[in-house]
Amino acid sequence: MATLPQLIEEDIQQLDAVLQELLEQSDATTALIIDQGGFLIAHHGDARQFDLTTIAALASGAYLANQTIANLVHETNFTSVYQQGEKFSLFVNCVDDSCLLTVIFKAHLSVGAVKYFAGPAAQRIARQLKTAQERDPASGLDLSVLNLADPTEVFKRKP
Amino acid sequence: MAIINQATKELQVKIVYYGPAMGGKTTNLVQVHDHVQTASGNKGKLVSLATSSDRTLFFDFLPIEAMSIKGFKTKFQLYTVPGQVIYNTTRQLVLRGVDGIVFVADSQFEKMAENVESFSNLDENLKTLKLNLGDIPYVLQYNKRDLPNAAPMDYMEFLLNNREVQVPSFASSAHLCEGVFETLNMITRLLLNKFISQSTPQYA
Repeated sequence: MATLPQLIEEDIQQLDAVLQELLEQSDATTALIIDQGGFLIAHHGDARQFDLTTIAALASGAYLANQTIANLVHETNFTSVYQQGEKFSLFVNCVDDSCLLTVIFKAHLSVGAVKYFAGPAAQRIARQLKTAQERDPASGLDLSVLNLADPTEVFKRKP
Repeated sequence: MAIINQATKELQVKIVYYGPAMGGKTTNLVQVHDHVQTASGNKGKLVSLATSSDRTLFFDFLPIEAMSIKGFKTKFQLYTVPGQVIYNTTRQLVLRGVDGIVFVADSQFEKMAENVESFSNLDENLKTLKLNLGDIPYVLQYNKRDLPNAAPMDYMEFLLNNREVQVPSFASSAHLCEGVFETLNMITRLLLNKFISQSTPQYA
């Protein structure tokens, strides 16, 4: 299974710029970069009216489930999922082995236009992730700041 | 893999509750959701993709923000897998990107074969994802201890915790919320310790 490269602030800014441009071009509402494990990595656009954490987990699951179905019917070229709605529609596009690009857009907009702009955006995201992958993996943050004196009571039960 | 977002100072980890059908995986998440003490807005909605008879179809999902450690927000994503044998492909999908595992075993004597089979299935599914159970923090939870036909703890330890390295195990009655938080805190502790000692962490 592919793992995410180390991303620093510069990467996040680049990814954010790609998402912003995608929203301007396609007139979509929200764009998300999600890990196939279900984590939300970056997002741009309207985040108030959607539960993006849950959407990331479910969109990843839906994409992987559909990919598995595609494999079962011997479809090797599987790169996207489109959910058609009455208010909002959703388009999930594969970025690379570890990430997905998800676009939420108003239902009256053309999915063709979203797909048209999402393709190059996914390629730019993939390039940025590759750049990050090739960077020195040892650089970055010292995790010792996460040291805990006593992590036994991270979650407490209500009295 | 866990994600550390340096830009937003967030740590995200994925914990999967695994085990045989009707063992109490979903009940664990429901109890955590109902009883966890968090600041307002730090607990997400419990999402269940279940059948009409409340059997897990795809997964249950509960995001919780635990606390801030030296400026880092720690976000835990708790998942369950469907326990029924036919949903093995789904279990493999849910295991993608897993950081820690809670194996929920059913203490009833007649469920021992299912427990062992499910544990072996977990090992196989991790291998299909090129992961090794020895490299992933996991804990065992022996659930339904309140039932009269519960097998002795020693017997369950012999069946399920008999590997080279023994892992922490807990007795629980998930529907009474007994042992639920002890289990969750232990897997959290193992996970955080792993990240601290890990030399090449993942960033996002």
